[in-house]
Amino acid sequence: MSKNSDIKIYEYDAVIVGSGLAGLAAAKELTEAGKKTAIITKLHPLRSHSGAAQGGINAAIGPEDSTELHEFDTVKGSDYLADQDCVELMCTKAPETIRWAERMGATFSRNEEGNIAIRPFGGQSKPRACYAKDRTGLALLQAIYEQADRAGIEVFDEWYAADLLYKDGKAYGVAAYDIRNSKPAIFNAKVTMFATGGHGRAYRFNSNAHANTGDSLSIVSRHGLPLEDMEFVQFHPSGLGGSGVLISEAARGEGGRLFNSEGERFMSKYAPNAMELASRDVVSRAIMEEVRQGRGVGKDGQSVNIDLTHLDPEIILTRLPELRELAIAFQGQDMLKEPIHISATAHYSMGGIPTNINCEVRKSPTEMTEGFYAAGECACVSVHGANRLGANSVLEALLFGRHAGENMVKKIDEGIELYPASEADAETMLSEIEKIKTSNGNETVPGIREELQAGMTADAGVFRTKESLERQLKLIDELLGRYNNIRIDDKSDTFNTDLQEAIELGHMLEFSKFIVYGALNREESRGGHYREDFPTRDDAKFLKHTYAYMDKEFNMTQEWGEVVLGKFEPKERTY
Amino acid sequence: MSVVKDTRKVTIKAWRFNAETDYLPYTKEYTMEVGKDELILDLMNRIKWEHDGSFSYRRSCRHGICGACAIKVNGKSVLACKQNAIELLDLFDNDITLEPSSKKRAVKDMIIDKSDFWEKHAAVKPYVVADIDPRPEAESKQSIAQFNALLDSDLCIQCGACHYACPALEVNDAFLGPAALAAAYRFTADTRDEATEERLQITFESGSGVWDCVKCFECAEACPKEVNPIEKIGKLHNMQFEHGVAIPNVATKHAEGFLRGMKKTGYLDEADIVTYSEGYLGMYKHLNTARKMFMVGKIHWHSGIPFINSIPKIKNLDEVQKLIEISQTNKL
Repeated sequence: MSKNSDIKIYEYDAVIVGSGLAGLAAAKELTEAGKKTAIITKLHPLRSHSGAAQGGINAAIGPEDSTELHEFDTVKGSDYLADQDCVELMCTKAPETIRWAERMGATFSRNEEGNIAIRPFGGQSKPRACYAKDRTGLALLQAIYEQADRAGIEVFDEWYAADLLYKDGKAYGVAAYDIRNSKPAIFNAKVTMFATGGHGRAYRFNSNAHANTGDSLSIVSRHGLPLEDMEFVQFHPSGLGGSGVLISEAARGEGGRLFNSEGERFMSKYAPNAMELASRDVVSRAIMEEVRQGRGVGKDGQSVNIDLTHLDPEIILTRLPELRELAIAFQGQDMLKEPIHISATAHYSMGGIPTNINCEVRKSPTEMTEGFYAAGECACVSVHGANRLGANSVLEALLFGRHAGENMVKKIDEGIELYPASEADAETMLSEIEKIKTSNGNETVPGIREELQAGMTADAGVFRTKESLERQLKLIDELLGRYNNIRIDDKSDTFNTDLQEAIELGHMLEFSKFIVYGALNREESRGGHYREDFPTRDDAKFLKHTYAYMDKEFNMTQEWGEVVLGKFEPKERTY
Repeated sequence: MSVVKDTRKVTIKAWRFNAETDYLPYTKEYTMEVGKDELILDLMNRIKWEHDGSFSYRRSCRHGICGACAIKVNGKSVLACKQNAIELLDLFDNDITLEPSSKKRAVKDMIIDKSDFWEKHAAVKPYVVADIDPRPEAESKQSIAQFNALLDSDLCIQCGACHYACPALEVNDAFLGPAALAAAYRFTADTRDEATEERLQITFESGSGVWDCVKCFECAEACPKEVNPIEKIGKLHNMQFEHGVAIPNVATKHAEGFLRGMKKTGYLDEADIVTYSEGYLGMYKHLNTARKMFMVGKIHWHSGIPFINSIPKIKNLDEVQKLIEISQTNKL
């Protein structure tokens, strides 16, 4: 790592960390408005995990559908914890956003009339998921990248953003280093945006990319800022049995049926009306309950079967070709001929960096930061509340990413000033790197990470109790201590991914504590958060957003924030 | 009774190199039990996590959609996160070496400098060229047939497997390569795009364009997503004729020369192809080759001389001529 005197300070109007749908959409808006914008990504933009979304993107464009129905399904799906003003904005702008993506070149599948085709998805009263075969995210990511590239966005790819520059309630850029040669730099900007995606890697059994280590969550919390609703983690019903890699909800949307080891189509017990197309949290719990009662399939009895063999093979071949290939590659099972083993897998983070409807980051439930924005999975705006509906995540990322970009343009035009950065702003990042590189203990990064992940899946997973959560909290505290005693093999300055994994592990340990702490304090069951010791929803006490804070010694505190209600009164939620 | 084992103990070799600090690359060996469901990426993770944390490679999605982890195993292009390990161990008799996609571009271990790949990608205008309505009230119409005409070219994940498997690129730095050309097809075939002629012109350029493809099908073999770039290159050839971009030159006349021979005799007339595409003066360049071909009996003393029909005609030549007549849509 270079000495302080070598630190380059770049000046920009806007700096964006993350280059998935949200980051690219914002960067495109800013660049087209003539604002000098830098995107920083630890991958290449086209490797972002938005591209892994498979099944669809929601918009009420079907003949029998309406924006209000989309809003209702989203709010009901959220178990009434979503902020209804944000949901209204999202559902109202969804058709325009999807058509904008289509005009940009997204390769949506078409119906007989040549319009965008739609398919049914879980938790939705009408077919609403617009799709590009079973690679919708890829089609969207490519389209937004292509047009952002055409607009001339400036990308710093394979750079690692390690710290936020933040003082007196104001964000003024990030400290980052070039992964290729470890050279540090300061990106000083009038407005800063985080769009870094999800944190599913904290779980052993997950559907996420290796990159999804939730870095920005703890970067934010290290500055004393809160994280919102972190206890709400979505477990997707259909992860491939061995690896957790996703088999899209489209498999159920197109007609896939779930069976236990006794050949029983068990969803009839849990969601007699919606069956396999109940909300994700409902189906995931049903699967895990069948497994717990010994009716699982597969080598260790940890999976159930999804059967698509009754479908016309043409449907699988034209609408689910990638899924079929995945099941063959990962488990040697061909869905044309046999059922596939699936199990609930950690998939999506409903919580995150709290923002208002304009994507500005909150300092507390009632106060705002300045010049700081977040959108996409790392943010909590909150449109998903306690449980996200399938095909709403890519919608949120694209729509609120663009919305953030527009608001950042406005902020810059209003004359927000550059708070000047100095080389000293790289100090936190440099000492973090120095500490990891010189630490010479006997703990390893993979070792600590595996313990964290196993504990999160077992004790902070689909089913939670006070005991399991306290056990996991204790484990995290212990691991945070042992993390000080790690040793990495790679001391070089060239593509040091060993160092990067160590930094990422530090983040995972810290934000995982928010998940467990929030889950412990929320003594009710709502959406993706299920407490066996408090199995029902308790609106009187907990129709509230969690705002949790962590201090330098990893001690936690929390307060509650109001939920924005609206036209939909909280009701009992059945499917 | 024998116990069937689910795992196999093997020694995996990995090509190691740090361009900043190593003078020469070297190979290291790692012994491990490999399970039947493990992928090449699992093996790389295990080298890094269980043996040596400095082993470096790119990876992210782990299910074949982000394109980060393309490497070579014993020279064969693979996407590490989709390639079953036992399959390759069987294929190569338990002796496998993990290598970067392109050794000469290696920065560290499996990580290569892909700037040439991205420069070529950028050269074909890889985006829909159109005025994009920022707040459209309707989508543009595209029939299912028009959508299908993309032939899954939009499934390319920019992994570079085909690019670094292409032998034409290996000897011709100017050649755009199969990935960039497949991308050129993807946008040119899109009904929403308005840069058809321009992109066809870019891909027509001699030296860099489709005419420098040697049609070996390595790209189709290497592609982990079955994008089949050579098929798209073929389509671009046709589109260049259809849109009047193709002009008579050595390359196009060489292609036409095949047809000419078929029409005339039903046989491939090697000498005629040379005279037709390069002219009599151009033939002198190939005298040495001609001498060798003459020695092995592939051409005769009278080959290439006008008015002497040195090539016999096939039986049923009229049927071949009829087939050509009804199937030919493009003429120079």
